[in-house]
Amino acid sequence: MYEREKDLVDAFIRGQVDRRGLIKGLGALGLTAAMGGTLLAMAQSRAMAADFDWQAHKGKSLKLLLNKHPYADAMIANLQAFKDLTGMEVTYDVFPEDVYFDKVTAALSSGSSEYDAFMTGAYMTWTYGPAGWTEDLNQWIKDPAKTSPTYAWDDVLEGVRKSCAWNGQPGGTLGSDDAKQWCIPWGFEQNNITYNKEMFDKVGVQPPKDLDDLVAVAAKLTKDVGNNVYGVGVRGSRSWATIHPGFLSAYANFGQKDLNVTDGKLSAAMNTAESKAFHAKWVEMIQNSGPKDWSTYTWYQVGTDLGAGASAMIFDADILGYFQNGGTKEAGKLAFHGFKANPAAEAPTPNIWIWSLAMSSFAKDKDATWYFLQWASSVEHAIFGATKHDFVNPVRNAVWKDEMFVEKLKKYPGYFEMFTASAPGASIKFTAQPLFFDLTTEWAATLQKMVAKQVPVDEGLDQLAQSIDGQLKDAGLG
Amino acid sequence: MTAAATARARPSGFRISKRVLPYVLSLPALLVCIGILIPFLTAAWYSLHRYRLSQPWGYKFIWFDNYAAFFTDPKFWNTLQISLTYAATTVVLELLLGLGIALLLQKRTTLNNFISIMLLLPLMTAPALAALMWKLMTNPGFGILSYLAGLIGLHDFRWASSPSTALFTVVLVDIWVYTPFIMILLLAGLRSLPTQPFEAAALDGVPRTFVFFRITLPMLTPYILTATLFRLLDSIQQFDIIYAMTQGGPGDTLTVFQVEAYLNFFQSTNVGRSAALMIILWAITYFLSNIFIKNWLRLRERARGNG
Amino acid sequence: MEHTSTLERVLRGAALALVVIFFMFPLFWIFMMSFQTNETILRIPPSIVFEPTLSNYAALITGRLETAAGTLEINFLRTLWNSVFLSVTSVAVALLLGVPAAYAFARHKFRGSEDIAFTLLSFRFAPPLLVLLPLTIYFQQLGLSNTYFGLVWVYQLICLPLILWIVRGYFEDISADVEYAYRIAGHSWFATFRKIALPLAGPGIAAAGLLAFIFAWNNFVFALVLASADKQPVTVGALAFVTASGIQYGQIAAAIVLSITPTLALALYAQRYLVEGLSLGAVKG
Repeated sequence: MYEREKDLVDAFIRGQVDRRGLIKGLGALGLTAAMGGTLLAMAQSRAMAADFDWQAHKGKSLKLLLNKHPYADAMIANLQAFKDLTGMEVTYDVFPEDVYFDKVTAALSSGSSEYDAFMTGAYMTWTYGPAGWTEDLNQWIKDPAKTSPTYAWDDVLEGVRKSCAWNGQPGGTLGSDDAKQWCIPWGFEQNNITYNKEMFDKVGVQPPKDLDDLVAVAAKLTKDVGNNVYGVGVRGSRSWATIHPGFLSAYANFGQKDLNVTDGKLSAAMNTAESKAFHAKWVEMIQNSGPKDWSTYTWYQVGTDLGAGASAMIFDADILGYFQNGGTKEAGKLAFHGFKANPAAEAPTPNIWIWSLAMSSFAKDKDATWYFLQWASSVEHAIFGATKHDFVNPVRNAVWKDEMFVEKLKKYPGYFEMFTASAPGASIKFTAQPLFFDLTTEWAATLQKMVAKQVPVDEGLDQLAQSIDGQLKDAGLG
Repeated sequence: MTAAATARARPSGFRISKRVLPYVLSLPALLVCIGILIPFLTAAWYSLHRYRLSQPWGYKFIWFDNYAAFFTDPKFWNTLQISLTYAATTVVLELLLGLGIALLLQKRTTLNNFISIMLLLPLMTAPALAALMWKLMTNPGFGILSYLAGLIGLHDFRWASSPSTALFTVVLVDIWVYTPFIMILLLAGLRSLPTQPFEAAALDGVPRTFVFFRITLPMLTPYILTATLFRLLDSIQQFDIIYAMTQGGPGDTLTVFQVEAYLNFFQSTNVGRSAALMIILWAITYFLSNIFIKNWLRLRERARGNG
Repeated sequence: MEHTSTLERVLRGAALALVVIFFMFPLFWIFMMSFQTNETILRIPPSIVFEPTLSNYAALITGRLETAAGTLEINFLRTLWNSVFLSVTSVAVALLLGVPAAYAFARHKFRGSEDIAFTLLSFRFAPPLLVLLPLTIYFQQLGLSNTYFGLVWVYQLICLPLILWIVRGYFEDISADVEYAYRIAGHSWFATFRKIALPLAGPGIAAAGLLAFIFAWNNFVFALVLASADKQPVTVGALAFVTASGIQYGQIAAAIVLSITPTLALALYAQRYLVEGLSLGAVKG
């Protein structure tokens, strides 16, 4: 059955028919888009199988530890394709995001061999890697016997790929030549501005050009939109999660750093004059135009407020804005904007969060596990996830050239432009080191004290730097 | 007295020596729990080490350095102070409120019984989920409580997000969840008190406040102690409510023991410091409960002697 | 006691009304939320007027949740069942072990009895976080991780001390004379325990069991760390509605309502025992 359809899809895979031709052709054959997708996945499996022995681990089984996330949902929806391709069995445990990393830490720190691969963020691998819980994936990526010739590792965005590689030396440059690939990037978030176009039009403001403009626009929105709408949503809870999105993206755009690295020794770098000026503006922005209960704001509150029309814009993950543009009160009114905080900077330089896949060092069969990681991070799966599900932002260049995906993004005004403008400068802006969570939690607590006017900005940053230096020394890093 | 009574008994059927019987009865319970001693000792052992999972090369036995470091660490003293404040505030308020409600519901009527069961509902709500809902209800935009506060003129009340009201807010949630626990224990106590002393006092026309302070309260003391003990042990270890509502913030306002230890363990993976913090917390609870139990036994002995 | 003035009755009524409002209002609001979509919950200002929907409950019961970001598969009923199973089994085991022990402590002052009783109590104040890492490691070595058996064992830390100390107080309060007489009549120790002591302490045992049940029900850290996804309790299960695309407040509210129901039913059923049974330390006769 479906012989003609199969031929057509195979022609597409071989590059003889372009995507539009494929869609048209399938439409002419009376196929719905969903069925076309299934056929596409099947054909992709056949194409992948053509020049690589995907059946080498047939009959083996794997267990995954997954976070409840659209990326995981997209993978699960396509998992049958992997099973068909390899003849392997895959089971998985999905845990809520709220407790996900507690579960990962507990499983890995106790040396549990229950899970072969798991989802992680790049920051977490700065703990997991040195602790000896995850494998350096270069061993497999660079081995042609174990990795399909069509895998196209170079197709993964460079800044993102390098951000997941670290040599394990405190302060070591991400993606250096001796770096270990602790995890494979899967999907990532750039921190930019998502704004409510209707509210912007009502007040007559444009998306902000730089930090000063952001402070001013946010204040005007707070004053003029009415109905208690506030200007700009950013996270504020006492956690690393407050530092890494908009805050660090803007901070890095001014060329500011978290730590100095000299001769392998680390020291705090957040008490420079430029940093103090930046912090002062940021704090002022929150005090004047942020959410009233900012210090409890996590990803969820920032997103919820935007979707429910309580805030006029957010400076946070682009995909947070993306999710809020459907199924919410303000759905369809949101637009996206690549934001460059420093007027002197050439382009946005967002800090990024990368949902990645890592291999547990306690995995029972590592070669077999690699087959899964390889498949899940392949172009083929990325296209499936990005076009059929919410696998945004995919880390592969090929997907961003995919017509169906670009077409789908048209419902999200400015998203594609925002992405292309900031992707070249997108990477992790933190210094990789084992005290990442200590440092960022204390940084967030200091911001909270500044916003609550418990401590002046200058003094707060000096205290923070002093405390960080002390902790670095204690840990033998400073 | 009771032991002597049983000792005189002549049991038939299968015989277990009277000396052995109590051990036979209590040992299974002990054995089941004793397993936990091994992980406990392991954790105590960890606390004597420099032990960061992210720096395995630094693993080293350092005697009591983790503990010694606390003495000069202002963060630790802040943690100690806020934990004790939190525990004392919640327990005292819940005790007063719980006692008040128990007195209101003392009479055995169908309505009172029904209300007392319904008041247990907050206790049946998992604290982590309850806190999530309270966070929504205190949101300045969507929150019903913020809205109601606005109606009575509190327009800018910041609940958990301001350093000046964060403690109040989490204590409020704690009171909401756990007062029913104290209430139900005290209600049971009140209803089981003998009636004669009260009847006699009423006949003599003794003032009600005098009756309450000189008869009711002393007779209720064993119940109050038990309720306080269990509540105090839980309260000083509070985690769910505080973490879900503020993550220990704003600033360092609410970094109680369990929040600090949780962050140290799960985020910083500083096992040594986390274990040392927990051992100190354990020592505090051990000390407090020892005092309570001694008094409890003494009070019970006295009550029995009088009765 | 009978001669209460009108003023006093009014004051008492008003106080009781305030108490009921304070404790019931948040639950009332949660109950209302469980019949709303996220969109109507997230309105400014919040409003009590809405069009009720059963979609939250439908999603929980069918395990499928339709959101803008596609269909979420959430096996909520499975977690509810896990909670029931774990709590019931744990309390049953704790009663089986705890009641005889409580009887021993109450009736026999034996050497070391107070020490053993106190040690058992002290297990309740070992912070779970302290033992979590070693416990996970040992459980793995013993093959207990990811088993119901292992979980029920760990849950004894929550249930056993509570049951032991409440039931002990109750045994101490019932006079030993009846038991003494029964034994003089030639009955065995066990018969006495079963026919006399247990029925007399019934309410106390029921009440302690119910409180232990509530605490076991609300726990989640042990299962989270020690077991895989298919053995998680409802407390973890409900957090699945905190999703990357937003917190599904309606479903969480419905999950709370569903998760309270079994406990509430139990409490209403055992109503009389609950209040009578907690009369530990009572001085009767």
